[in-house]
Amino acid sequence: MPTVTIDGETIDVSGDKPLLQECLNMGTELPHFCYHPAMSAPANCRQCMVEVGTPVRDRETGELKLDDEGNPEIQWMPKLMTSCTVQVTDGMVVKTHRTSEKAKRGQKDTLEFLLINHPLDCPICDQAGKCPLQIQAYKYGPEGSRFEFRKVHKPKRVKLGPRVTLDAERCINCTRCTRFTEEISGSCQLTISERGVKNYPITMPGQPFDDPYSMNTIDLCPVGALTSTDSRFKARAWEMSRTPSITTLNARGSNCYYMVRDNLIMEVVPRQNMQVNEYWLPDEERVGWAYERFNDMRPAHGPELRSDGELTPVSWERATDAASKALGAVDPSEILFLGSAHATVEDNYLLKRLAEALGADAPRYIPHIDAGHDDDWLRTDDRTPNAQGCERLGIHPIDADVVRSRVEAGEIKAVYVLDDDPVGAGLFTEDQLDDLIVVLHYYNTTNQTLPVTDVALPAAMVVETVGTYVNDHGHAQTVRPAKTIKEVNRTLMMATGKSRPDMHGTPFDRWHNDDNQVDCLPGWEVLPMVAAHLDIDLSYKGPKAIMAEVSEENPAFAGATHEAMGLQGVRLEDVGEPA
Amino acid sequence: MSEFDIKKPVVALPDMDPEPQIPEEDLFFTEEELERIEGFTEKYPTNRSAVMPALWLAQEKFGFLPPEVMKLVAEAIDIPYAQVYGAATFYTQYYKKQMGTYVLDVCCSFSCQACGSYDVLDYLEEKLGIHAGETTEDGRFTIQEVECLGSCGTAPMLQVTNGPYVHNLTEEKLDQLIDDLRNDKMPPFTSVTMPQDEDEMGGNRRSDVEHTDTYRTPPAPERWI
Repeated sequence: MPTVTIDGETIDVSGDKPLLQECLNMGTELPHFCYHPAMSAPANCRQCMVEVGTPVRDRETGELKLDDEGNPEIQWMPKLMTSCTVQVTDGMVVKTHRTSEKAKRGQKDTLEFLLINHPLDCPICDQAGKCPLQIQAYKYGPEGSRFEFRKVHKPKRVKLGPRVTLDAERCINCTRCTRFTEEISGSCQLTISERGVKNYPITMPGQPFDDPYSMNTIDLCPVGALTSTDSRFKARAWEMSRTPSITTLNARGSNCYYMVRDNLIMEVVPRQNMQVNEYWLPDEERVGWAYERFNDMRPAHGPELRSDGELTPVSWERATDAASKALGAVDPSEILFLGSAHATVEDNYLLKRLAEALGADAPRYIPHIDAGHDDDWLRTDDRTPNAQGCERLGIHPIDADVVRSRVEAGEIKAVYVLDDDPVGAGLFTEDQLDDLIVVLHYYNTTNQTLPVTDVALPAAMVVETVGTYVNDHGHAQTVRPAKTIKEVNRTLMMATGKSRPDMHGTPFDRWHNDDNQVDCLPGWEVLPMVAAHLDIDLSYKGPKAIMAEVSEENPAFAGATHEAMGLQGVRLEDVGEPA
Repeated sequence: MSEFDIKKPVVALPDMDPEPQIPEEDLFFTEEELERIEGFTEKYPTNRSAVMPALWLAQEKFGFLPPEVMKLVAEAIDIPYAQVYGAATFYTQYYKKQMGTYVLDVCCSFSCQACGSYDVLDYLEEKLGIHAGETTEDGRFTIQEVECLGSCGTAPMLQVTNGPYVHNLTEEKLDQLIDDLRNDKMPPFTSVTMPQDEDEMGGNRRSDVEHTDTYRTPPAPERWI
């Protein structure tokens, strides 16, 4: 194992990573733009300059040459080296900008060059506040510029594709985006055109940048050159709080941050988790309708009850009472409980316990399979985040033909739906459900079962709740609230305070906003309320306590407590068919 | 490129949805040409390396390289279109649009600039009535401002249609060159004298010592010899 001395500190390194990564790993920050751990290092930003020396060996004996004081003699490389392309060798000595004036000066002058044609429009740039160029220019850059001539002007507002807009002037030609399309996504849709001061990344003529992973280039871009067509100029980086969570549009459960301002989800950006999505996120999770799904399509009223054929808003107390009456009015064998692969493990577990306590059949869930959507990477055929979690709880896919014939035969009198849309999914038609009692937990007003629903209970979405999802590889991950709901819930308040680094709810929270709150409740809050009206005790201290119980009782969830899952999740054992 | 000058440095966006300029029935490589291209790809470890000779072959065939030809080259050597586009736009020697019969590539990099290449460029622009990057109305001349052509010792210089260099430019030499080219007479290839041959040439380090007696350089200082 090679030993390398960085700024006088000697460390053991693995030797298979470039010097830059080793420095970053040991906590020595080196400024860099083009280097990314997942991609090749072209060393074209010239920013990570360090002084590198190797010990001198005697040519004949192979022994280390020692100086007068008995230390190994060091042969320094004649010029500064880009640390991203230096392979670490045994005995190497490195001086970074912390100890070397030469390296410091080299980094400073490189930044001056990089900034020559950069427009410096930080006051209107989306990247400002999280921009590596801005941060590193402050930390390592020159005090000013000596360039007194007109800057080169390049195309602005270029729509590269449906989701990515280019501002070529801001580009520093690090080629991270082109390398992403060549090495990671494989679509090869971007290239650097022209040369010298005229170059910038672009697609070739007649080819839109429609890679299904194109928006990752926006996150990779170390400046504001590649921006999201949807969210550019919508919110500044420092106005948003970011909550580590996961995405829920397919079964992979890619890790992400939800960026929130004024209780609105403004952006969804990837979060590193080497066991799930590495550094990437598919576009489908964060295009425009992600904004609509989380913000615009949320129910405007709280719980609603059908009276005189119309849904009218009522209190949670009355709504849950009505739901329990609906369940109590019919024979337990005539109730169809529908769990949901959209809902958390906690919610499904409570629903299962409710069904058991009533003596009804175990809940089933509606599979949402979109064949051909899988790309062997971060998209899956299954468009729900928690099918695996349902299976592990013993909730299985519904047999559509059987249940339809049972409804036709009048064997089912009440349907209790957790966070799903049986009409939209094609399980039932509106006519079939018309005469039945339907209790529906729902996320969005686009839910097509709403017109035949008798008790409508808005449910907290992934961005508002605390809960557990299990991805298709059996990776259990928790989500935490990114935005607040209208109801006061101690568990959610505590979790929000922990998940949002902006000190949410305290006097120091400058962006606390009571607007845009949805009157909804998480399933683990509503289901115990419904159960209490039926004299069934489902009360827990919160989702954490529920998960603690599940992980203890069910071997398929062994070890999956909230504490253990943390931010990176827990890979569950494959126990086959659970009992 | 034509809009790009030092007073108004603007890089234009290329036409992202261009009309094809080569008729579809002409847009193909013959068996013989495909065989030559295969020869290029066999020469290198990766097909990507063969992009330069393949583009060269295409430019010889079609005269210039519109996007559809770049696409054809990409298919012929089986690499992504983007990589062909990137390589073709990098080099000024690949013509991305229809050029005049004679392309005058005036080097404007450091050494030539210091020796007056912008004067050369201005003189040519005025003489032919066009700007750098444009073609004369009769379709005979195109002027390009290009980067270093590797002949700094004979600055200022230009290259004619990716062919012979014309070294140590003066206004007279430019007049002569334009007259010759109007009569379809290409300038001769001239070789550059190496310092070690200077003795034989009477100490004159100019490559075109036989063709000119202006700009005679003084003999090299003793310490060089």
